[in-house]
Amino acid sequence: MRFCPFAKRTLLVLKAKGIGHEVININLKNKPEWFFKKNPFGLVPVLENSQGQVIYESAITCEYLDEAYPGKKLLPDDPYEKACQKMVFELFSKVPPLLLSFLRRQNKEDCSGVKEELHKEFSKLEEVLTNKKTTFFGGSSLSMIDYLIWPWFEWLITLELNEYVDHTPNLKLWMEAMMKDPAVSSLFIDPKAFRGFLDLYLQNNLEACDYGL
Amino acid sequence: MTDDATRTLGKGSAPPGPVPEGLIRLYSMRFCPYAHRTRLVLQAKGIRHEVININLRNKPEWYFTKHPFGHIPVLENSKGQLIYESVIACEYLDDAYPGRKLYPYDCYERARQKMLLELFYKVPHLTKECLVTLRCGRGCADLKLALRQEFCNLEEILGYQNTIFFGGDCISMIDYLFWPWFERLDVYGIADCVNHTPALRLWIAAMKQDPTVCALLIDKNIFLGFLNLYFQNNPDAFDYGLSC
Repeated sequence: MRFCPFAKRTLLVLKAKGIGHEVININLKNKPEWFFKKNPFGLVPVLENSQGQVIYESAITCEYLDEAYPGKKLLPDDPYEKACQKMVFELFSKVPPLLLSFLRRQNKEDCSGVKEELHKEFSKLEEVLTNKKTTFFGGSSLSMIDYLIWPWFEWLITLELNEYVDHTPNLKLWMEAMMKDPAVSSLFIDPKAFRGFLDLYLQNNLEACDYGL
Repeated sequence: MTDDATRTLGKGSAPPGPVPEGLIRLYSMRFCPYAHRTRLVLQAKGIRHEVININLRNKPEWYFTKHPFGHIPVLENSKGQLIYESVIACEYLDDAYPGRKLYPYDCYERARQKMLLELFYKVPHLTKECLVTLRCGRGCADLKLALRQEFCNLEEILGYQNTIFFGGDCISMIDYLFWPWFERLDVYGIADCVNHTPALRLWIAAMKQDPTVCALLIDKNIFLGFLNLYFQNNPDAFDYGLSC
């Protein structure tokens, strides 16, 4: 689905590794029955290859693509460096549900509690960059972990919530560096389309996923 | 006697020195299922290691320099590198050490094992809740029903694959990642949750024949002794069963 941040992870890896692919978008507000045969959880993203093998869970799809396809390796070969990327991924895990709950509340109750929690989570990520003294989360070049966490920071930009990284300067610099990446910039969501989608999606409108087409 | 049969370190204990070359250190607790995963992998791959058990109710101050929240398991190598989260630790060991590979070589089969792990995610919480509820003298019929449902999902996988183990005909990483909770069903008082899942029972029987699983099997009476003290909030619980 064009606006799903989890599916965005897989699209970024497909783009970064130059893997030829086709996309079938699923209406997440009105899922086709056959889709549950692809993924019993009924979630995107799902990969299907010509052997009919199906892989789901965004992080698993990304790792699969990195292993199965040649070219630039996004995950490091060194076992410790690879483990570090997975530990950062765990550190990030509270951000997606927090950001979603923040978006759901935007125009309703006071969301200062959620804001504070987001600040806390961003500070943890800031600490990683500060300790590593590198631009990206995996080192001096962009790698898998950066793509895995990017889609939610892209939301901050498209929704003009950049002030959320005002107190985390390294994170801010990381975002600027990410925007220069060819895969990131070629897949950047149009802010108008995203806002249009989000409004309809939060109202449970069946047409949300096709906004802008 | 397994190699983790040492007294726990608690508040006020001196921090351990650096890890000697050629060894990897595991911060653990003898009865913790998550740490059990890592111990299974260390055993299965024949990795030289030392174990430091942590008193989880009375954590040493220095332990928070190993893990920000003082969780176990944590691996520390001779370079001082720290790896935590049980699944990450297990994968690190499989990648970093030679010999028998526990994850499959084929990238699709590897992905399948990781997808299977997702299917398992409710089991640890449900088994723990059953244990706590039973120990508090309350009924846990709803929890057991939910747990049985999870076991049915796993049963379906074994049925569909028509293999003994979750990764195929031989034991592999995913089996070791699941095992600790199944070993505890009996001592937690919920062994009847596999009454309706014959393939899962066959898997349990096959696992109990595995040399690695056997080498680390926890004596039932010692486990019960630990649980009794643990639920009385006795800080000596974690050392139950150790001589002197």
